[in-house]
Amino acid sequence: MINNKKGAMEFSFAWIFAIVAGAIILSLAIYGVVKFMNMQSSEIDAQTAKGIGVLLNPLETGFEDSKRVLMEISTDTRIYTGCSNDSIFGRQTITTSQKLSGEWSSEGVNVPFYNRYIFSKNPVQGKDFYIFSKPLEMPFKVADLIYITSTEDKYCFVNPPDEIEDEIKILIKKNTKKNENFILENRRVNCPEESIQICFDTQTGCDMNVNRNLRRVQRSSETLWYEGDALMYAAIFSSKKDYECQIDRLMNRTEQLYEIYQDKAEFILKKTNCDSELDIEVMRMINLLKNFQDSEDLSVIYDMSEEIDKKNKAYPECRLWY
Amino acid sequence: MKTKKQNKAQMKIQQMSFMIIAVFTFFAVVGMMVFTIKLNSIRISADELEAQNAKLLASKIANSPEFSCGNLYGGSKTDCVDLDKVMALKSNIGKYSNFWGASNIEIRKVYPEWIWEDKECTPNNYPNCSMIHLITPSEKGEGKYNYVSLCRKEIYRKKIDGRTFDEVVDKCEVGQIIVRYGGEEE
Repeated sequence: MINNKKGAMEFSFAWIFAIVAGAIILSLAIYGVVKFMNMQSSEIDAQTAKGIGVLLNPLETGFEDSKRVLMEISTDTRIYTGCSNDSIFGRQTITTSQKLSGEWSSEGVNVPFYNRYIFSKNPVQGKDFYIFSKPLEMPFKVADLIYITSTEDKYCFVNPPDEIEDEIKILIKKNTKKNENFILENRRVNCPEESIQICFDTQTGCDMNVNRNLRRVQRSSETLWYEGDALMYAAIFSSKKDYECQIDRLMNRTEQLYEIYQDKAEFILKKTNCDSELDIEVMRMINLLKNFQDSEDLSVIYDMSEEIDKKNKAYPECRLWY
Repeated sequence: MKTKKQNKAQMKIQQMSFMIIAVFTFFAVVGMMVFTIKLNSIRISADELEAQNAKLLASKIANSPEFSCGNLYGGSKTDCVDLDKVMALKSNIGKYSNFWGASNIEIRKVYPEWIWEDKECTPNNYPNCSMIHLITPSEKGEGKYNYVSLCRKEIYRKKIDGRTFDEVVDKCEVGQIIVRYGGEEE
């Protein structure tokens, strides 16, 4: 910098060059650090999402009916579950976003799982999450359905039928560490104010109404059809869009399993001369599953599966499953 | 005089340019090193998660619907693989390539000991064989295993009063289910 005779300041080229270059270097460094921090938070989110998926492995049941575990995450977390049915088995994706220094990080990397079926609010948010699973049977086990609920979301079951009440009591009993989010009440008015109320059969006026005779869950203007308790819980805990997508994936898996049993029947017949005599019914079932549209078609498929089950049980020696 | 001044200025500009290039190179090298270390740590944690997944998968895959015996072979059995079903699965395995997130799934008979060389099961030699490879025939990648029962239906020929009768019986043997991961990177 030079002071000229008139008192004005004059910048030499070197100074101007240094300032411009310095500013560029500094801004590049700041940009790099910000990018690096974003990458760091995306990495944590991706790791959490993959970790959740891996942790769900032991939840898949053998012969026990339902299990419930508490998953504790040290920071406030949003779990986004995505469903797509673009391939035979479709995809379940898990993405997480965590609250770091008071701000939610942007949704991390989509971690895909092809053999998971998660039903939850989307996103489900909190630090502690209850996870439980139930097997879906058509009539053999097709998959374990996984339900994720946050301890921040309270679900009030109003006067449920005995078998549901017993099951919820068992779930509550197994995990009464803290922040119980399943509540059983005889009357709707006794439910906590902020809770999601679920009425059964004759009761009305709740956030959700489960009609066990028609096998449907009614929620504002939406109707979700189900068969069996596993799908009833699925309809309660997830949105209609996610539910229909997961049902579609599940029906595709059921179809593939029926094809495996069809091949197994042929294989056993050749090897042992044992005829299960289920070929026509299994073929009909595969056709029904191929034409599956939405949850409204479930009842036809379920009735057919019961018919197949009866016939399968009639030939104990050549049973394909039991 | 003017040329001397110009030369001096040019010299300064050159010095400055070299300095800037040096500073940029330094930051670039440091950045590259940090990036490599970070990438490496991401790869390590991805490998750890994959290994953890394979370990848990090995212990639960026998109970998945595509493998499980259910109650078919005399009551409920956990960690029981229905070999007849697995043979049917083998012919449909193309659809399941990504399904379990493993690069290969392998089933081996352990007991009674298979006295001949390793023999892959095919519909022609089954059940006189010792192993089934699903997804790929290779054994690349790290493997995690779990012991399981391998059950199947078999014809048992019995003689009563000199006459021969065929009876369908359940036969179970001891085996291993091996889940491999990361094979495609090798």
